[in-house]
Amino acid sequence: MGDISNSIKKTDSDEKISGSAIYVADIKMDGMLHAITLRSTICHGEIKTITFPDIPEGYHIVSAKDVPGRNVVKIIFDDQPVFTEKDITYLEEPILLVIGPDKEVVQDILNQIVVEYIEKDPVFDWVNSAVNYHFDKGSGIKAFEHAHKVIAFDYETGYQEQAYIEPQGFLGYMDGEKVTLIGSIQCPYYVKNAVIDALGTDPDNVRVIQPSIGGAFGGKEEFPSLMACQLAVAVQKIGQPIQLLYEREEDMLVTTKRHPSKIHFEAAMSEHNEILGFKTYCAIDAGANIGLSGVVLARALIACTGAYTINNLDVSGDVFITNTVPNGAFRGFGAPQMYFAIEMFMEHIALELDLDPLEFRMNNLAKQGDNTSTNGTFRDPIIMDEMIIKAMEISDYKNKRKLYDDTNSYKGIGMSFFFHGCGFTGSGEATHIKAKVKLRKEKTGKVQILVAAVDMGQGIRTTLRKVVSHILEIPIDDVIFNFPDTDLVPDSGPTVASRTIMIVGGLIARATREMKERWMETEFTVEKQYVQPDYIKYDEATFQGDAYPAYSWGINIVEVEVDKYTYQVKLQHTWSVYDVGKAIDERIVIGQADGGLTQGIAYGYLEVMTHELGKIKQKNMTDYIIPTAMDTNKMDTVIYENPYAFGPYGAKGVGELTLVGGAPAVAYAIEQAIKRKVFKIPATPEYLMELVKNDRN
Amino acid sequence: MTEIKFRLNGVPVTMESDPNRRLLDVLREDFEMTGVKEGCGEGECGACAVLLDHEIVNSCSVPLANCINKDIVTIEGFAKTSRYKVIKNAFEEEGAVQCGFCTPGMMIASESLLNKNPNPSDQEIKIGLSGNLCRCTGYAMIIKAIQKASKDGDGLW
Amino acid sequence: MVKTVIPSSLIEALEYLSNEQYRFVAGGTDMLIQYHNRSLLPIAFKDNIMYIAHIPELLSVTEDDENIYIGACEPLEALLKNDLVPQLLKDTILEMASPAIRHTGTLGGNVGNASPAGDSLVPMYLLNTLIEVRSKHSTRRLRIQDFIQGVRKIDLHPDEIISRIIINKLEFTKASFVKVGPRLSDAISKVSFAGAITLVNGVVDDLRFAFGAVNITVVRRPDIECLYINKSLEELKASIDEIIEKYKPYIKPIDDQRSNKEYRTTVSINLLRGFIEEL
Repeated sequence: MGDISNSIKKTDSDEKISGSAIYVADIKMDGMLHAITLRSTICHGEIKTITFPDIPEGYHIVSAKDVPGRNVVKIIFDDQPVFTEKDITYLEEPILLVIGPDKEVVQDILNQIVVEYIEKDPVFDWVNSAVNYHFDKGSGIKAFEHAHKVIAFDYETGYQEQAYIEPQGFLGYMDGEKVTLIGSIQCPYYVKNAVIDALGTDPDNVRVIQPSIGGAFGGKEEFPSLMACQLAVAVQKIGQPIQLLYEREEDMLVTTKRHPSKIHFEAAMSEHNEILGFKTYCAIDAGANIGLSGVVLARALIACTGAYTINNLDVSGDVFITNTVPNGAFRGFGAPQMYFAIEMFMEHIALELDLDPLEFRMNNLAKQGDNTSTNGTFRDPIIMDEMIIKAMEISDYKNKRKLYDDTNSYKGIGMSFFFHGCGFTGSGEATHIKAKVKLRKEKTGKVQILVAAVDMGQGIRTTLRKVVSHILEIPIDDVIFNFPDTDLVPDSGPTVASRTIMIVGGLIARATREMKERWMETEFTVEKQYVQPDYIKYDEATFQGDAYPAYSWGINIVEVEVDKYTYQVKLQHTWSVYDVGKAIDERIVIGQADGGLTQGIAYGYLEVMTHELGKIKQKNMTDYIIPTAMDTNKMDTVIYENPYAFGPYGAKGVGELTLVGGAPAVAYAIEQAIKRKVFKIPATPEYLMELVKNDRN
Repeated sequence: MTEIKFRLNGVPVTMESDPNRRLLDVLREDFEMTGVKEGCGEGECGACAVLLDHEIVNSCSVPLANCINKDIVTIEGFAKTSRYKVIKNAFEEEGAVQCGFCTPGMMIASESLLNKNPNPSDQEIKIGLSGNLCRCTGYAMIIKAIQKASKDGDGLW
Repeated sequence: MVKTVIPSSLIEALEYLSNEQYRFVAGGTDMLIQYHNRSLLPIAFKDNIMYIAHIPELLSVTEDDENIYIGACEPLEALLKNDLVPQLLKDTILEMASPAIRHTGTLGGNVGNASPAGDSLVPMYLLNTLIEVRSKHSTRRLRIQDFIQGVRKIDLHPDEIISRIIINKLEFTKASFVKVGPRLSDAISKVSFAGAITLVNGVVDDLRFAFGAVNITVVRRPDIECLYINKSLEELKASIDEIIEKYKPYIKPIDDQRSNKEYRTTVSINLLRGFIEEL
């Protein structure tokens, strides 16, 4: 069979390249109706009255009073209604759906609906905390009692919009008693469970199917549950197929984004320039409801030591509620914010103490056996030392660093170190998800993978099949992996948290090994459920223990040139080295790496999203700037093998790792180019101009 | 309603329609060419790209009125050509396809470019792709794919 | 009910215009965004519409001894390949938008749109472009700076259509265009700048600057430029600060979702400084 890492042609290339792959907007059904959402035009207040025009025959209004079950979108807290009945907590909050056969008439009806509000003062300042966390490691704040020097800095990160090229959308229809939803989603069972709750119905009466989806990056993790509940209520009430597709502007204004953050770091330093301890405070803006924000904050806080080992920590954070669009999951999930801050902080400490930043950082890098930020252990080998040597070699880092330091070239090169904890934080896999997979051998000798994992471009329709094909030593064409359909697949958990290959793939590998032993049986199904390795223990409440079962590691080096007249940043070249355990398909991993790094770097210098009085100012692809081909440059990637015992073929998580290090790497490079410290991202030309003019160094 | 005549994927078409409709909607709704995608509706993302007289245009920004007597080729039509096979093969071998939503548009951009410039430099490829947004790949493998197609298809363009 | 017409000749178009007012759609890339409607729905035009992209008399690029005549509906990408088109204008077009938009976008459309951030307007102001407009009974030629009166405001009578862009044949020692956008393609300018100079025996014979996106229209000040004619190159370079001070009152950008006043002001001045310094 050869090495599994050897790249093969992806399963779905043909259909995607030829345009025959079916995405939700491509599906038409007889009698299909169109739905458009009526949304609030104020940020904070109450609905006083709604006045409707005459509604023609065949057209419908669906709102809170139509919700048969609970008017709540089940995510974690009951803090988001399917349709708001009265309270308005953010601009564009969904109030009702107008539905009918002719979209122009639907739009016309919508334009005639008059909503009268009682306005309240909106809160945009970060003052209302809904979640507060605090934990210590070692002696916590007491480490500061012996500090020779305390160094403190503040960092800020902005919104980031996922900007998947396919906007969000669903098609819903009744199949007898069953509400069936086809949607651009990452988590079929999140959607199913939310809909069951909103309809107050049995699990058998809800079916969720994933078609091809055009990118997600976390933006289709929890947000779609809201759309799905609204649509399910409508479909059940009206009994006809209904399409709910968001226009791009609508999608940009109302769907979840990466949480803006403000991070405060203090370091207690000894006389000999050793780090005695850190105090970290991280605030994130959740927008109008908590949603997943507590989990995002948790991951950010756990990442507060970056790739380093710091023995004493005092860590705290808040999730603030504001009257702005609710924020949510985006590749990295709190880590990108914290990695920017911790990497810059380490460098800024060194500069304060007149130390060589690279040496200082490398001296503090985590090693196998060290305690993590939450008193877990880095059990597995860490090969960052070799990876750093490689990264510096392929980029000529040391020479360039020196060259750009010595000259007024407006060029810079920066290197970031990072890891990403793979899988759900702590005992999430064991207590919340309890992933189940099924593997079925058919009479024909073909094998079918039955999981709820979604291929959103990361290639699992190819990689999971490779795992099965390699273990059974059968041709990959004999392994079937159809689009997840909750009527047919068990709940293997959501497609998030870089867990699909490692956890779901790991379960599939176990199932396959059992199938191999039973291969002489003609037709049978193997089921496996996730069992947490005994030694992984984590207390969510106190943030103590092993937060993650495994860690993937990475290094990004970014070289830039800054235009001295316009302060624009031009990428010259990037080099990356990753330890993802084992690449199930090398080209697929490098493709993910290219894409993740491009997003991570753009998070650091290019992508700007702001709100003014609760309204998102960059509401289309013209104003929200993501990289075009012209903005990119050469990208070199090297993958190291460092197998993890419980991942299939040793594989660990990939998806998010490759986004986490881009922003600090580009920020470091920019700092060198303009000879100023960078404290916030995106490091736009406007910000760089301020830094250069203000002469802060 | 106006009578509009054009050629779609090589076949003459006559339709009675509102000239103020977007070509994108006409292709997707009237001709079921769902390979032409809507990503932004404002001419930024290129997912709706088609060839108009063999040049790339964003069909979301082309009114039906401007299609009169024109040659329109969508990914469905282009997929029947030998040039397509070369580019497709290159995309597959270089790993240029992830979620696939930008891919038909990228194929159209590739053809529009190679048709005028059979041996483009990397910079010329980037210019050729500059109106097609991709969020998954970081563009690197797409650029390599077009380089490869240009070499493999020597003589075709 | 809005009327939509698709005339097949200029005469037919002018006849329509002599009876009623129409808004023009050339390539459509601006108009279809301005009147953007929901997916599946026709474009939400509010006025009568005349489609002009295919009218033969509005296509073509010709010349005589003094001028180049560019048809108002000649697509931008086609201009890139036409030898008659001045290099400065070609350099500008290459920075604009994307190939797809350049295949249908037109100079006539850009001028008609009169956006403060319109890139092609900057070299056109610098090149003393004339805008030719025609009605059934008359032809007018206006200087571009007189034709464009403000943000999306043009001196076009209800029965007129922009027919040709007329550019004087000029040669410069050096002419360059710089676009500063939020990314390296497919972007609306935060600031743009064009500079041109002709030196004869080290003496300034012709000097022109134009700034885009820093005022309601392109900023071109021949009254400042002429002060430096017949100066030597060294004298010109020594006067950079003085020149910048003279331009400052006219550089009045705004804050918006793309950038802010300070950045736009600083960068446009930097570009002016850079142009002169690097001569």
